[in-house]
Amino acid sequence: MAPLKALEAEYRILDPNFQAFCASHGIFSVEDFLIHDLYELAAFAEQQPTSEKLKQGITQVLSIMDTQHQPWLNGMELLDDALHNKHVLSTGCEGIDLLLGGGLREGQLTELVGPSSCGKTQVCLLAASNVATKHMGNVVYLDTGNSFSPQRIAQFVGHIAGHAFDEAGKGIFQRIMNSIVCHSVFDIFTMFNVLHRLVINFPSQLQKGGQVRLLIVDSISSLITPILGNSGSQGRALMISAGYMLKKLAHEHNVAVLVTNHTVGGERGIPKPALGQTWKSIPHVRLLLSGDHGNNVRSISVLRHPSMASGKAANFSI
Amino acid sequence: MEVGRLPISASQRGKLISAGYTTLASLSSLSPSDLARDLKIPESEALEILKVASHDCRLDQPDKSNGIFTGAQTAWEMLHEEQSFPRITTSCADLDNILGGGINCKEVTEIGGVPGIGKTQLGIQLAVNVQIPVDFGGLGGKAVYIDTEGSFMVERALQIAEASVLDMSHYNELLRKELRTCQVEIQPTDILKNIFYFRICSYTEQIALINHLDKFILEHKDVKIVIIDSVTFHFRQDFEDLALRTRLLGGMALKLMNLANKYNLAVVIFNQVTTKHKEGSFQLSLALGDSWSHCCTNRVILYWNGDERNAHIDKSPSLKSASAPFSVTRKGIRNSASNHKRIKLM
Repeated sequence: MAPLKALEAEYRILDPNFQAFCASHGIFSVEDFLIHDLYELAAFAEQQPTSEKLKQGITQVLSIMDTQHQPWLNGMELLDDALHNKHVLSTGCEGIDLLLGGGLREGQLTELVGPSSCGKTQVCLLAASNVATKHMGNVVYLDTGNSFSPQRIAQFVGHIAGHAFDEAGKGIFQRIMNSIVCHSVFDIFTMFNVLHRLVINFPSQLQKGGQVRLLIVDSISSLITPILGNSGSQGRALMISAGYMLKKLAHEHNVAVLVTNHTVGGERGIPKPALGQTWKSIPHVRLLLSGDHGNNVRSISVLRHPSMASGKAANFSI
Repeated sequence: MEVGRLPISASQRGKLISAGYTTLASLSSLSPSDLARDLKIPESEALEILKVASHDCRLDQPDKSNGIFTGAQTAWEMLHEEQSFPRITTSCADLDNILGGGINCKEVTEIGGVPGIGKTQLGIQLAVNVQIPVDFGGLGGKAVYIDTEGSFMVERALQIAEASVLDMSHYNELLRKELRTCQVEIQPTDILKNIFYFRICSYTEQIALINHLDKFILEHKDVKIVIIDSVTFHFRQDFEDLALRTRLLGGMALKLMNLANKYNLAVVIFNQVTTKHKEGSFQLSLALGDSWSHCCTNRVILYWNGDERNAHIDKSPSLKSASAPFSVTRKGIRNSASNHKRIKLM
């Protein structure tokens, strides 16, 4: 929908003369240009006194469009990328790791769904501790409910490392704790800003060696629920935009993304994931957690997975 | 960064995109009058858009300083910060125990229970206890009390405050017999002075007040606790559009979270109970539905166990779920009497 005028500053060839020529054929924007018969346009350009320049202009616009899309990859390259860059990060919880064939996949968006106090945040905290301790990766934790508990993280890290940290181990402990970064976000625009800065900071982080391997958003639903459903489609657009941004980040920078979602009462009182049908198609992997009050055993089942049969279930305890 | 992700209205966004401004970079070198002409909007509106855009544009430069972006904290820093903060005691040792020492700052704690269990009593107790001076292991802060039900009794607050002052002077005598100079300077009337009381009569007022709290606390920096008694009351009346209710409550919860984090204060929300049909039987659970239950950091449920009042931690990121008895006495919230007996027997 961008007007051709906007391109003039960068490409001198698209001068007012070219724009006037396009305008005379009812072409004002790049979109108009695309739906127009280009052969016909070139034929008209022949009849003009400045035909050479006009034809150059047409080729220029077409080549600009060509640079707008991503380069193509073949299957082997994709496989190569998957094998070398997309590792599997274990969550530190045996039941979940077994169920998912190793754990969270880098480049994928994993969603945890479950009712209140069923252990979603605990799984997030455990995964953060485990990735920081075992995989030496940095973890970014976006917290919407002040539920990030450093004390609990310290407990997990101590447990995973398997021994109490003595004087010598204190340095290691501090390094692990420093590699988990928490950011409080209370509206979706703040989240966009944080993610954007994260992307910008990626190259400098690579040089330092501390790469972000896991990004956690706990919980995405509390950011989206307040904007969803009010008049107009902007809330929906922002939700899609958020999902798209997370997936792009995951794919391009080889990060595993873990988000949490809550449940709402569906038909006949059976709980179902919140955020509706539109969001349903966004996460790669969708896991349903459920907890039983009174005992510590939680169960987890796969609702959606790109390469596994759904419906498998496992038990775990925290 | 794309224009679609700017916090501006849908119509402005639509106008920007159809005029060809799709990225922030394209907005960076524009004057407000140019933008106003291109979008056919008043200049003041154009200025607003550019302000938002330039704010976001500044974030485009990578942080040179330390690799971690501003506003974020590492778990290491947070661990130390958390350990250094005092907690707000509930005056009941057993309850403090299961809460890990009391109500934590920077967190939103929801407390719910059946009528007459002592929710309001606990609220008044917390409003008093937050003012315990730093010398006595308290916070020396002030309290904001938002009353939606009209159940705050000032005489009762005075009673609890008097008991609290009395306790403090006892403690003083026990601990520092030789230091006579260190006297309890705080008076029960001072305690009442430092409780900021808001009476709310409709849900519109409630939302408006929570929006205003940010400004209020900026002016009264020493407010350390915000108590809402109860969040439910107005939202359970005349509300037909349940989706709207969920949205309003979700937005309100995020604002409270933001307050707790920004000013380092505790937020305590009281909730009522409702019956829920579950697996063929009716069970008591907290009101306002499933979505709301995700909104708070901690959740404590008060219930009767025989003749004894009990508190149960239903949800918390760092605490184990546990129960403890407590009682409401003339002095306020205290340890359960029967519990004392049991300890003596053992």
